[in-house]
Formats: sequence, C-alpha cells, structure tokens
Amino acid sequence: MNHVLERRAEEAVAAAAPAKIDVRQLDFFYGKTQALKDVDLAVPADAVTAIIGPSGCGKSTLLRTINRIYELYPDQRAEGEIVIDDRNILDPRYSLSKLRRRVGMVFQKPTPFATTIRKNVAFALSYYERLPKPELSDRIEDALRRAALWDEVKDKLDASALSLSGGQQQRLCIARTLAVRPEIILLDEPTSALDPISTAKIEELIDELRRQFTIVIVTHNMQQAARVSQRTAFFHLGELIEVGDTSQIFTNPRVQRTQDYITGRFG
Amino acid sequence: MDHSHGHTLKAFDQDLTELRNLIADMGSFAEAAIEEAMRCLVERDVAAAAELVEADVQLDELEAEAERRVLELIALRAPMADDLRDAIAALKIAGVVERIGDYAKNIARRVRRLPKKGDIEPLSLLPEMAKIASSMVHDVLKAFVERDPARARAVCLRDDALDDFYESIFRTLLTYMMENPQNIGPSTTLLFVAKNLERIGDHATNIAEMVYFAATGERLTESEQA
Repeated sequence: MNHVLERRAEEAVAAAAPAKIDVRQLDFFYGKTQALKDVDLAVPADAVTAIIGPSGCGKSTLLRTINRIYELYPDQRAEGEIVIDDRNILDPRYSLSKLRRRVGMVFQKPTPFATTIRKNVAFALSYYERLPKPELSDRIEDALRRAALWDEVKDKLDASALSLSGGQQQRLCIARTLAVRPEIILLDEPTSALDPISTAKIEELIDELRRQFTIVIVTHNMQQAARVSQRTAFFHLGELIEVGDTSQIFTNPRVQRTQDYITGRFG
Repeated sequence: MDHSHGHTLKAFDQDLTELRNLIADMGSFAEAAIEEAMRCLVERDVAAAAELVEADVQLDELEAEAERRVLELIALRAPMADDLRDAIAALKIAGVVERIGDYAKNIARRVRRLPKKGDIEPLSLLPEMAKIASSMVHDVLKAFVERDPARARAVCLRDDALDDFYESIFRTLLTYMMENPQNIGPSTTLLFVAKNLERIGDHATNIAEMVYFAATGERLTESEQA
C-alpha cells in the first residue's frame, strides 16, 4: 500500500481499536486544587497517544495517575476509574507492584542510577524476576537493543551510566523500562532536555516500540506530537477538550480552543 | 471557526496577511486582464492586446513569489490547522489564477485574427459573459481574503449561468457560420474566446472549493453547490 494511505489506515485502526487504558470520569486533586476534571479518555493499544496542552493543563497529572505515582504524596488523590484490561487500577486493592510492572514510565530528565549500565537495566528485572545469569544477560541485551542503545554501549556495560551522554542516558532509562516487559509505556516530556539528534533517535525508537506497546507521551512540543503519535488529546485547565486522530487534530480540529492552541493563538 | 485571537507571534499574522494580499493582487491582475482583453477584442485594439500578452509575465512572477512565501511560511512558521489549510490553499490558488491569466492572454492573442472593421454580431454577447467570468474571479478572491465560505459557495452557483451563456453563444455562432461561410473564420475565433471564458468560470469554481475547504475544513460537494 502507498505509505500515505497506510498511515490513514493505521490511524483508523488506532481509533477503532479497543481501549487498552480507559479513563472514566477521572478527577484529580492536589490538596484542594482540582487538576483534572471529569476526564473520559480511551487510549488504544499498540499506538502512540500524545497528550498536549499548555502548562498546568493536567497532562503530566494524568500520566502520574495512570501509574499511581501520586500515592507517594499524602494530600493527592484521584477519583473515578482507570480501567486497564477490565480492572480498575485506581482500586487500592490493585497491587501497586503489579501495576508498575505493567506500566513503565520515563521522565523528562534522564534518571540513571549512579551505577553501571548493566546494573541500571538489571535492577528492576531482578526485583520482579529471579533469572539465571545467562538469561539475565540476554534480557539486558534485548532491552538495550530495543532501546537502540546496544551498539553504543555493548563494549562498556560495566562503565558508569553517568558517563553516557544525555540522549544515551534517556535511552538507557527506556531500556530499563522495557526490560521488565511492560504493556504500557508512559513518557513525560522524554526529549525536552535533549539535543535534536538525540530527540530524533528517541522519536524513531517510539515509532518502533508502538507496534508492541501502548504508549502515552506528554509533550510541550506540538511538532513532536504530530511526528510520533496516531492519536492526540488536547487538555486545557484540567479538562479534556478534544481527542482525535493526530492528522485530524493538526489539520482540522473541531473545537475552537484546540485550534487556537495548536495554531499559536492562545490567550 | 473564527480567529478569536491573533497569533501570539505577531510576525506570523503579518506573514499570513501579506500572503493573502499577494493572492488578492494576483486576482486583481487576472480580473483586469480579462476586462482589458475583452475591450481589445471589442475595439479591435491589436496594439494594446499585444501589450497585454507581454504583461502576463508579471502574473507568472507573482505566482513564483506566492510559492516562495508559502514554502517559507511552512518551513519557518510550521502552520497548523486553519493556518496550514490557508497556506496550501494560497499555493494552489496562485497556480489557478496564473492559469486564468493565461486564458485572458489567449483572448488577447486572438484579437488580431478578427477583421479590423465591421460588426460581428455575436461579439455583442461576449462582453456580458466576460463580466460574469471576471466578477466570479473577483468574488472568489474576496472570499479567500475574507475567509468567507458563503461567498465562495455563491460563486459556484454562478458557474451555471456562465455555462448557459456558452451554450447560447455556441448555437448563435453556429447559425452565423451556416448563414455565410465567410463568417467561419471570425466565428471560430469568437468560439475560442467563449470557451476561454467558460474555462475561467470553471477555474473560479475550483478556487471557490479551495476557499471553502480552507475556511471550514469541509469539502464542498457537488450537491451542496447546487
């Protein structure tokens, strides 16, 4: 198929795919401040969904809710449901360790541990699984390969992760996330601290990974959302304003506020 | 959807406005060329017609300028949504207006093929037809500049009138040719002129569809035009 038509078809598939993550009537509070208001959002499997919106719109809050990282802070709470494969993961009875294994997260700034490259990848793996040494090595290699970092680090696996460049460190963090074989990957501004070449490598990686993972990326960079995602959701002041195929959102948004934001006319 | 605000980056607004004005200038040029070509035809002004043919190169230059500006706008401003649709429409419209200019040039070229003196009866119908064609060009470019989909749609409706005019001129010229074989030469020339005007109407209709899409994001279907 002509690749333009292929992209159309992929978007149609993404739009029609059953939701991997189904956010239902989600409210989120930082103390008394409401950061998300009645959000309903279906995130399709095996596709990249981009969350865009101005600062403070709630996009990072949504990611933090999907893997319940907010539970570390006592005055933060979520109401509503986030259903992953028929289970509401916000239910306190849903095991946090099981959730974190299924849902990996990569942050804005690379967060390598101050140890070797090998141990960075092995760390979460040994937490979840007891693997014999040869198999552990295989899994580390596999994760580094998938993160497109293997060729650059294969000869220095015992070097410090901190000796890597920023872009390499971020790919190491992605490798660390991939090592435990999650189903969902959350990326919070994964390239905002990187140079254009490292950014391009990460974007290429995201495009590769979307065939096997459900990916949600929060980005300030609208061009990045346009480049890497099949679905785009626009948030403003804690509300989901519009969600649709990425090509539709960027060429023909239905809601005025979306149009004002993506064309640079905001406020 | 409206433009409820200007762009945060004001230079972007200025770029878009200048691009719109450039396309409007092309439209005015083409419109004037149609009118001048018809005047030359009616008055058998061969010298002015030759000048008009020469002047068409200016429209080509304006088209090249429009293309350059659209490329820059896309590369430097990364327009999205309605801005992107506008930029693409401007690029396409520039190409079509240049083509309309070519039709006006074709009409001007035919002036010297008509006899210098004497009335050719069907010639009286052509200026009316040209008026409709040039007003369509005028209005459709106004619709683009003002982002007015209703005006664009109204232009489409007038194309039927132009087609009817063409049919009627065609039959008149045919009768004229049958009356006297000496009329065949000039009549054929006039028939080409009528055909050129009819084509201008078709191109104005195409522009109307582009303007409608740029302004609304929806396609103007055949049934909606009627």
